[in-house]
Amino acid sequence: MVGLTIDGRTVRAAEGTNVLQAAEQAGISIPHFCYHPAFEAEGNCRLCLVEIEGLPKLDSACSTVVREGMIVRTSTAPVLEARKDVLEFLLAEHPLDCPICDKAGECKLQDYYDRHGLFPGWFLEAKEKRQKKISIGKGLLLDRERCILCTRCVRYLRKVTGTGELGVFERGVRAEVGTYDDAPIDNNYSGNLVDICPVGAITDTDFRFKTRAWFLEKRPTVCPRCSRGCAVIVESVSGYPLEEGERRVFRIRAGENPAVNGYWICDFGRAGRRDIDEGRQERVIKSASPESELSWQKALADVMARIRSVPGPERAAKVAVILNSRMTREELTLAKRLFAEGLSLDKIFFADPKPGAADGFLLTEERVPNARGVLQAGFSPRLPDLDALAASVEVLLVFGSHLLDHFSEEAVSRALAKIPSKFLFSAHTGPLDRLAEIVFPLAVSAEKSGTYINIDGLRQSFGRAAEPAPGVVSEHEILGCLAAGLGLNVGEHDVR
Amino acid sequence: MSEDAVRLIPADEGSWRLEAYLRRGGYEAARKAVMSMAPADVITEVRKAGLRGRGGAGFPAGLKWSFVPQGGAGPKYLCVNADEGEPGTFKDRAILVRNPHQLIEGMTIAAFGVGIRKAFIYVRGEYGRIAGRLREAIAEAEDEGFLGGGIFGSGFDLEVIVHLGAGAYICGEETALLESIEGRRGQPRLKPPFPAVVGLFRAPTAINNVETLANVPLIIGRGADWFLGRGLPKDGGTRLFGVSGAVRRPGLYELPMGTQLRTIIEIHAGGPPEGVAIKAVIPGGLSAPALRPDELDVTMDFDALARAGSMLGSAGIIVIGDKIPILDVLKVMARFYAHESCGQCTPCRIGTSWIHKTVMRIGEGQGRASDLDHILRLADGMKGRTLCPMGDAAALPVQALVTKFRDELEKAVAR
Repeated sequence: MVGLTIDGRTVRAAEGTNVLQAAEQAGISIPHFCYHPAFEAEGNCRLCLVEIEGLPKLDSACSTVVREGMIVRTSTAPVLEARKDVLEFLLAEHPLDCPICDKAGECKLQDYYDRHGLFPGWFLEAKEKRQKKISIGKGLLLDRERCILCTRCVRYLRKVTGTGELGVFERGVRAEVGTYDDAPIDNNYSGNLVDICPVGAITDTDFRFKTRAWFLEKRPTVCPRCSRGCAVIVESVSGYPLEEGERRVFRIRAGENPAVNGYWICDFGRAGRRDIDEGRQERVIKSASPESELSWQKALADVMARIRSVPGPERAAKVAVILNSRMTREELTLAKRLFAEGLSLDKIFFADPKPGAADGFLLTEERVPNARGVLQAGFSPRLPDLDALAASVEVLLVFGSHLLDHFSEEAVSRALAKIPSKFLFSAHTGPLDRLAEIVFPLAVSAEKSGTYINIDGLRQSFGRAAEPAPGVVSEHEILGCLAAGLGLNVGEHDVR
Repeated sequence: MSEDAVRLIPADEGSWRLEAYLRRGGYEAARKAVMSMAPADVITEVRKAGLRGRGGAGFPAGLKWSFVPQGGAGPKYLCVNADEGEPGTFKDRAILVRNPHQLIEGMTIAAFGVGIRKAFIYVRGEYGRIAGRLREAIAEAEDEGFLGGGIFGSGFDLEVIVHLGAGAYICGEETALLESIEGRRGQPRLKPPFPAVVGLFRAPTAINNVETLANVPLIIGRGADWFLGRGLPKDGGTRLFGVSGAVRRPGLYELPMGTQLRTIIEIHAGGPPEGVAIKAVIPGGLSAPALRPDELDVTMDFDALARAGSMLGSAGIIVIGDKIPILDVLKVMARFYAHESCGQCTPCRIGTSWIHKTVMRIGEGQGRASDLDHILRLADGMKGRTLCPMGDAAALPVQALVTKFRDELEKAVAR
């Protein structure tokens, strides 16, 4: 450890730490654009200039490594003056199109002007005209007028993805970011470019013009789309300015987790936004009376009645459930106690999405978040044999719709037709819906709290990141109600 | 004038040929260093000679070499800065054209002293044809065993590679030069680490200007004391002063360090032509703040010019006659820096362009009373705040012109 003084405060920092980080650890934030903790300092924005005793001029905090006894001042008159001047330079050639900029409200340039600028505009000259809507691949758009040339994007593609699709071309005030020979960005981690752009220079068509940043409610969760378990932030709007009671998830962004994903998530995980908002099962549908409004609690009484109608000793053979590895560790424990121990079922199966290709960075082959949790809950996951199922089962509970990843719709239809009672618990609408006696609308993982165990065995608990629509229910609630209704003691929610 | 043997720009017939150089006593100093001196003694001798860098900053060359770690198994490099881009400067060009072997000999001595086996000469793109002569000289030296493997039959090797730039002023900045040799966009690196420790291909690297290295054979051949005697006590040797602009005999003058600026202009370059008076003098390449006619009694050495609020820089003296509007000078200056800023860091990228746009607007007759103060403020916003020295190089001369010729510029603004 190294001892230094920052703004009169004694600070201790690990050797090799830069002044900017050391100050941050001490609660002193030094404004910066180009510095990002994932890359080597580049020092090009010049906003983090600070006074270091003994040096003849200001130096960039991002590129200065702490030394024992160093005395740093971050808010003296010369420092504040330098900050103001840098902001004035950047804003001189900035289009100031904040009213139509997606980044407005979460833009570092706006925030820093508000905190460190507040100067009158002196720029009387013609601003550089540049291209404002360049498609650079993967739905990303580059606005060269907004770009402040911090080169975070260029460095990210060189140092993190190693794909290097972006470079800086030309020089001086004509310098601009661009792709080489118009070869577009093409990697599974392109969305992070939008996250790390400190201004609105790189925007995502998936988010562009859809809402304003200040309406977004940002909550963390764990990405459910593979077994890596990356930290993500779900950004949603509930109510105003949407309709009363309406909720939409506008964006999923990378959360920070040094133990798992650092600062990045893959585009596949980011696209999980659609899983939350699109194709959702909105209400309980009973095939006998599809139009009638029915609460899940009431509908669940039918499920219990059908299970009860099978005599206890016969249940092992005649009642079956199909679970999945998207269920939380807590839900799996409940399922274990309810189905395996309480009801003594033999026929407990799993149907998960088929594995995909791992990409060598974060995305794993398993396209479910909790395969380790399934094993830890004591299950031996296997697919059902449809013929065997059709031959003997009278009551079937299906959680999720991934049977169709393994069997044709026709084969599933044929088998289910032979089963007298089948209930579907699913977050999304699909071809299985019409085959079920009752379809229950389930919450997606962003709407749940719980725990996943990732590919490396890391246990990660998360809270609810988006409010589910009224009537949408988690497996946890379904299983808890079933257990209570069937008079089974499944204990408290301890999963350990 | 000194005899050809001790001139950086000799006048003898075919002076660039190896045979001519050998007639002048060439390669004897390198032979002496390689065959009879310890590497550390070479560095000591150059330090004693007070040889300060001729590229512009005036950093003591021997001291710079001493920062390169001694020994070690990894590679170390020597880079010669022949990216002579400072407006008003044409001295390295003359050495490359008239005396390339003296540069090569200086490189050999430097490489031997620092323990380097591979050197690059970074020649500005505009000197493409000159590079051909340089390559010929390298081949001549290799054929004679003065370069390449086993120099003078010793165990010392040196490979020299000529690398052409592509016409960017910023590549004369030593770390941008390294980036350019490595094949990347030529833009400066953060310092520290300094190139002596982490330089070309991340290896320890010595970087010296052409004129600096061309002086090294004189120091080793004739001794530090002889060299000091030709200049000043802490600033040894002669200097190539390039004089251009409003003088009768523009050209390159090799004179002792510390010669009076007025002497160079009035005596050597013949003073301004008939009917022309001197309005301003830029003493060390465009980046050196201009001097007024009453400030010309300054000696041309690093310390004296620094005290006078300017710098010796590349010693390119630009004499501006009274027929030239200062606004025109300012326009050329502003355009140059705006055009040559690499664009990497904010204050230089925007500052140079903003100043240029403002000056051009004044030139179009759209000036405002506040413009001159504003230009000074913009220059303040760049000074000492940029990633590399170019911010100062662009801000200081602009501030000097606006401050020293304020009356004339105010009239131009009000026009």
